[in-house]
Amino acid sequence: MEFLKSGIKTVLGSTEPGQQPSAAETVEKLVDRVYSSTLLEDRRDACRALKALSRKYRIEVGAQGMPPLVQVLQNDGQDAEIISYALDTLCNIVTSEEFDEEADNPTVSVNVGEQFTEMFIKTPENVSLVMGYLEEYDFRVRRAAIQLITSLIANKTRELQELVLVSPMGVSKLMDLLTDSREVIRNDVLLLLIELTKGNSNIQKIVAFENAFDRLFDIVHDEGCSDGGIVVEDCLILLLNLLKNNSSNQQFFKEGSYIQRLAPMFVLASDVEETGWTPQKVSNFHCMLQVVRALVTPSNQQQVVTACQRVMQKSQLLQGLCDILMSSGVPADILTETINAVAEVVRGDHENQDELSHVMAPSSPPRPAIVVLLMSMINEKQLLALRSAVLYCFECFLYRNPDGQRAVVQTLLPSSTTDVSSLSTGQLLCTGLFSSDTLANWFSAVAIMHTLVDNVALKEELLRVLLATPGGHRPITLLEQCTNLMQQERYRLQSKVGLLMLLSVWLAHCPGAVKALLETQGTMAYLTAQLCANEHDEREYLVQGMCAFLMGLCIQFNDNSLPNQRREDISQLIIKRIGQETFCNKLSEVSRHEAYSRACKQAQIRAKSAGELLLDYEYCKLYKGLEALIAKLVSGFDVDGIELTELTLSSEASALVAQYKGIIRGMDAQIQQLQQSVKELEQQNGEIKQQLGQEQALKSQVSDQITLLKAQLLAATSGTGQTPAPGTTTNNEEELNAARYQTNMYFAENIRLTKELETLRQQLQAEKQRADDASQALKSTQKDQEDLLELLADQEAKIARYEEQLPTTTIATPSAGSESETTTAATNPMPQPTSLIPTNPIEAAPETESNR
Amino acid sequence: MSYAYLFKYIIIGDTGVGKSCLLLQFTDKRFQPVHDLTIGVEFGARMITIDGKQIKLQIWDTAGQEAFRSITRSYYRGAAGALLVYDITRRETFNHLTTWLEDARQHSNSNMVIMLIGNKSDLDSRREVKKEEGEAFAREHGLVFMETSARTAANVEEAFINTAKEIYEKIQEGVFDINNEANGIKIGPQASPTNPSLPGSGGAAGAANSGCC
Repeated sequence: MEFLKSGIKTVLGSTEPGQQPSAAETVEKLVDRVYSSTLLEDRRDACRALKALSRKYRIEVGAQGMPPLVQVLQNDGQDAEIISYALDTLCNIVTSEEFDEEADNPTVSVNVGEQFTEMFIKTPENVSLVMGYLEEYDFRVRRAAIQLITSLIANKTRELQELVLVSPMGVSKLMDLLTDSREVIRNDVLLLLIELTKGNSNIQKIVAFENAFDRLFDIVHDEGCSDGGIVVEDCLILLLNLLKNNSSNQQFFKEGSYIQRLAPMFVLASDVEETGWTPQKVSNFHCMLQVVRALVTPSNQQQVVTACQRVMQKSQLLQGLCDILMSSGVPADILTETINAVAEVVRGDHENQDELSHVMAPSSPPRPAIVVLLMSMINEKQLLALRSAVLYCFECFLYRNPDGQRAVVQTLLPSSTTDVSSLSTGQLLCTGLFSSDTLANWFSAVAIMHTLVDNVALKEELLRVLLATPGGHRPITLLEQCTNLMQQERYRLQSKVGLLMLLSVWLAHCPGAVKALLETQGTMAYLTAQLCANEHDEREYLVQGMCAFLMGLCIQFNDNSLPNQRREDISQLIIKRIGQETFCNKLSEVSRHEAYSRACKQAQIRAKSAGELLLDYEYCKLYKGLEALIAKLVSGFDVDGIELTELTLSSEASALVAQYKGIIRGMDAQIQQLQQSVKELEQQNGEIKQQLGQEQALKSQVSDQITLLKAQLLAATSGTGQTPAPGTTTNNEEELNAARYQTNMYFAENIRLTKELETLRQQLQAEKQRADDASQALKSTQKDQEDLLELLADQEAKIARYEEQLPTTTIATPSAGSESETTTAATNPMPQPTSLIPTNPIEAAPETESNR
Repeated sequence: MSYAYLFKYIIIGDTGVGKSCLLLQFTDKRFQPVHDLTIGVEFGARMITIDGKQIKLQIWDTAGQEAFRSITRSYYRGAAGALLVYDITRRETFNHLTTWLEDARQHSNSNMVIMLIGNKSDLDSRREVKKEEGEAFAREHGLVFMETSARTAANVEEAFINTAKEIYEKIQEGVFDINNEANGIKIGPQASPTNPSLPGSGGAAGAANSGCC
């Protein structure tokens, strides 16, 4: 300080004693020196003095000093010392940190650094000027430049990110500094990069492209991994910045086999229990777990999550995490975060879920890790965060895991194989559900609920669960016990919310469960009473909304198998006792509650206080899907119990109905037409068959005659051959000739008739074919008609109701069938074979006889 | 997975020429007719074999739009190979090649292998740039040239693999400094640094392999 003071003295000259110049005057003089001095030494001394003043008189130096300092940066680049002073001074001016020296200066407002930053970057060239000095190897210059840029980014992140991006190779140059052999520089660059990569995926990607993952892992290893100092933590924070919500970098991380480099870091040294966990190690570990979660968090791209989950199993990262879960002496917050990490690594991945289910805790007797986890979940003394994490882990374990769900439910079912002495998951959950600890009730209800998500078969199975009752009464079903608990005064609100969620998920899509609920004593009365109650507590509103939802589910998934508890009956109950408007209002209370939006945000259970634990992610999903449906269903019943829901058909829907009607009408006409043509074709077919029969009869007649004549001829020739009387020879010959002639004629006739027959047969065949085709077409059309008639019947029922509503509406019926007549006329080529048949052959015989 | 070398590629070229589709076809063997505009840069990776050696390709697919130019420039320096893509059905994408090439040469390391790609060769009926023109441009600027179709997958494999071969040859010749990762080349974790040469025998074996197949 003395040195600095003397420096100021040499620059300003000694001042007259008793007449101290004000800070502003001093700064003004110094600024003037920097501007106008021709000697480098003078300018350098002035800069040094400005730097010394900048901590105490930040506003004065900042207001006047910025332009001359920039001028120094522009012109005095060859002198490292003056540049480092200028950069340091600027850094002091713009930093958001408050100096001890200025603590009693009232004029320094909180965001003075930010304002000076704004002034400085108003000229983007200033930033590139400073970036240029990153390439200066001199330690003072390089470090000062890095620190100045870090301060600028911290104050105006978005603007600086843009400036760095447009500056040629800006990010790449910064990345190069990570390889600087001087650790101080490297560490400062880490801090700079952490600021720079915040929320800018383009910069994150470039940094990753410039081998950041390799660099960072190298540094982390050199510094001793999780046992290293704060530099390790800085590296991990930067890593986290690069990976969070950046699917391209996540993919690169996975493809570059960096998960494999991460995995060994989770293996705890065997002596960790003796050496203990230093606060730095806790921080480092926390960051490592965050990195794992950044890769597999459910909001990431599904394919990236799946791929990373696979690698995490293969690289034994999951195993490492499970080992931490089961080892002793791990600090609670690390344990909590490890459970959350395990949860997300196994979520929806069957192999990983399987691996988790086989992890055994080193207790005696050895118990499955899941059982041990659930034990701490229902343990009142455990931390809230840890209990929430266990529930999240259990949910993730059951997510898309029907086998896991079944295994849990199985432990509740009466079976001889389960060992009574060992604790099972189901037993633990029931213990929690019936315990006096409200949170345990809530956690257990939600956990059981997750065994039922998307699994109707298990909902039916769980109905079979029986609980023994004290005093040797008949055993009671789990569902019955739940409804009993819900109605008990001593069971507190949070527990009731849990139960209502469990029951809702149970009933949804499961008519069997609806029936079982309706059969329990007093449940409907309780629900009705809840809905009629006029409470003014916000949390009571939530319960009322959930009761309304449960009632709605009893209508929606009711199979009407219970008399007096059918859909209509419950709707009447709502209409008469609660009122449709009130019901719908109460129903929407759920989505209006702040717990709803909180739970919808993410699958993970996050709660700052126990009271915040109300709604669950999966329940909200179910509610979101069914709320509108139930509201519509309930408001669709009128006082007489007739469902009016179709009234709400939109204009598009009614247009669709009209369109279908048109189609049905057209099909109808077509069917009639085809039926007619089939009839005609059958008739033709009959006629042709008859004709054929006639022809065949005629033919056999003719052939009979031919044989007769042949026999006659034979007799005649044999007669002439054996006794050839000379007188009769000529006569005989004449007769023979005549007979031959006749035979030939008959032959010809015969051939002609056979041909005729053939053509007739062919015709018949063709007609038959056509008849077949027609009847086939008829069949298909009839089928269509049946379908459409069904549709029509539906639609007509609706229309009937419409018409009741809107009697003025008329439906035009287009005339059909006129076309069919023309087609049938065209398809009627009546064959006329009669003209081809020769005149009776018997008539020809007398002619020959007359020849004779 | 182990590999002998890792090469970093970038894909550059005007917007809409099919850069992302080429990458998708190469990494996933599928074609997506409607693809969103690439924002900034996207990443893809695949393993290939050259000369009996496993080579890992890490590919950064850049946005073609002018607005992202300053961002994509940051990727030139660290890449060992670049696919410069134009669209054979749009003349202007061919006309812009000179600008792209200047940009690439200015910001990349001098050894970067650039492969010129005329994409969309399946749309021959709408062709505006003759194959000969592409060939001439490539010859003039010392690039390797190929026409590809991301839709039919024609020549897509070859485009990436031939670029890798070229880089591989340059390594064998000792042109690339393989110990400087800024060049976009990394030696695999298990490959000993003394081994990767044996250029004579290795190259001959490679030629023999490709000959008999």
